Amino acid sequence: MRRPFPTRSIVTYCGLSIFYLFLLLPIAWLVLSSFRNSDSVQSGRLLPSSSELTFRNYIETFQIGNFVTYVVNSFVIAFSVMVLTVFLGSLGAYALSRFALKGKRLFMMAALLPQFFPYVLVLIPFYVLMSSLNLVDTHVGLILTHTSLTLPFALWMLTGYFNAIPMELDQAALIDGCSRFGVLFRILYPVAIPGLVVAGFFAFVVSWGDYLFVSILSQSNATQTLPIGLQTFMTSLRVQWGLITAGTVVAIVPTVIFFSIVQRRLVSGLTAGAVKS
Amino acid sequence: MSSIPTSGNSSLTLWQSLGRRSFGYWLIFPALFVILGLNLYPTIQGILTSFTNQSLIDPGHSVYVGLDNYLKLLKDPVFQVSLVHSLELTFFAVVLQVLLGLVMAHLLIQEVPGIHFFRSVAMITWVLPIIASVVMFRFMTLPNYGLINILLKDAGLGQVARNWFGDETYAFLLVLIMHLWRNVPFYSIAFMAAMQAIPADLYEAARIDGAGDWRQFWFITLPNLRYIILVMVVLHVTFTFNNFDFVYLSTGGGPVNATEVLPSYIYKQAWNGYALGYASAGGVIMLVILVVLVLICNKFIKGLSEQ
Repeated sequence: MRRPFPTRSIVTYCGLSIFYLFLLLPIAWLVLSSFRNSDSVQSGRLLPSSSELTFRNYIETFQIGNFVTYVVNSFVIAFSVMVLTVFLGSLGAYALSRFALKGKRLFMMAALLPQFFPYVLVLIPFYVLMSSLNLVDTHVGLILTHTSLTLPFALWMLTGYFNAIPMELDQAALIDGCSRFGVLFRILYPVAIPGLVVAGFFAFVVSWGDYLFVSILSQSNATQTLPIGLQTFMTSLRVQWGLITAGTVVAIVPTVIFFSIVQRRLVSGLTAGAVKS
Repeated sequence: MSSIPTSGNSSLTLWQSLGRRSFGYWLIFPALFVILGLNLYPTIQGILTSFTNQSLIDPGHSVYVGLDNYLKLLKDPVFQVSLVHSLELTFFAVVLQVLLGLVMAHLLIQEVPGIHFFRSVAMITWVLPIIASVVMFRFMTLPNYGLINILLKDAGLGQVARNWFGDETYAFLLVLIMHLWRNVPFYSIAFMAAMQAIPADLYEAARIDGAGDWRQFWFITLPNLRYIILVMVVLHVTFTFNNFDFVYLSTGGGPVNATEVLPSYIYKQAWNGYALGYASAGGVIMLVILVVLVLICNKFIKGLSEQ
């Protein structure tokens, strides 16, 4: 390979700076403002002086009414959705990848189809269904709801991952006396970890960020999550942007940490199926 | 290893052999049950609801009203405005996302020092909760101490400063920009992965034939990206057309319906106006439009690939 011309590098860096300024500036401004006291936020100056920096916003945010409950609910629901999605998704993918099923293509299509349905339409009968099952305003109801949104992708992606694992591995394990569940948990799981992680991450992010379904299916503080909490903050705290920004930072930190762990695999996981087929 | 007792073939009862044959179906059953039971069933139910006058006040009692909801919707001026906005937003967002995604992908495949940093942080905007993006953009565009107006004033352009989300034109533009902000990096990463999979000797051959950068892009890169472009376009036409959060959380559809889109309008009809049947009819119209849009995208990009 010949070395790139320096002019080409300069053009590349200029282009990248424009894109990344646009992408990262809102995040940087949010984080910076969350550490400024309210006078500083409202001063209309770009940068704070060092005396205006404070942790107070974070301390006060955690003391606001139900903020801690929102955080706990978000964690409980998103974590459960993640585990359930990976478990059910891998069972289904194991079946689609390793067993001779009639109507396999039909299953795959049926699983993908709901991705195109308008959520605002689905939500209406969904609410009626959930209330007849007494699952409105329960954690279980929200966990099932979010899982139904994240499973199709997990099923598709994990089927692709399992298909890429040679059948000889299963057969060897079966001959050694491994059960059929054993094949999944002891042979396929360890090899497919990148896929499982991406499916889990995707499920976590969808559940963690969902506003639409929670806003209808959750009707009290007992089940409300951070997106509802932040929306309430935005309308009720009005000008206290120090608190709103601090609350928002708390809501993005878990996804950012999780993202930094899976980032390398996320790119290949999300694009693998699309690029290959 | 496994401690499973090896039961002799003789003890293989009818029950066990049945279980063995249907084992695969048992494995996939829970996933399909959750997906279909909680998505397909409600959608069919929603289509049925659209022909009734079901109300949130008493959902148990509703009457079949035929096409009444649909006829009323087509005459509803706010519905018409929302429909136009939804189509405009979807069109401009997806077209700009493909173009900007291609440019960004082209920058990200350059092997310059530090490029791995840029590649690794790219998707960050995509993983954040949409409410967080909305808070960022609302906060940045505040009239008195938002970042945009501070920068404008510092640059001596104070007269341009305004309450951006309160302005009918700019509010819609901001909704569009938030869509770009979230999704362009996803396109760029997907396109980049597809670009890296194009064999280098294709470019080598083109260079020997004297093809410049543009011709290489047009005749080698673009044709090889057809499939991933189709996937991303279909994915994002669906996402953008169905997206409720950006509009509802940032403007609530205002000012004066300037940003109202179908999902936000239908949501409000159902949950603030209690008109479940009416809202369902709106949702069914969305579903039909979406199917048509996806078919058009499919046809258009297939046609592109054949020339």
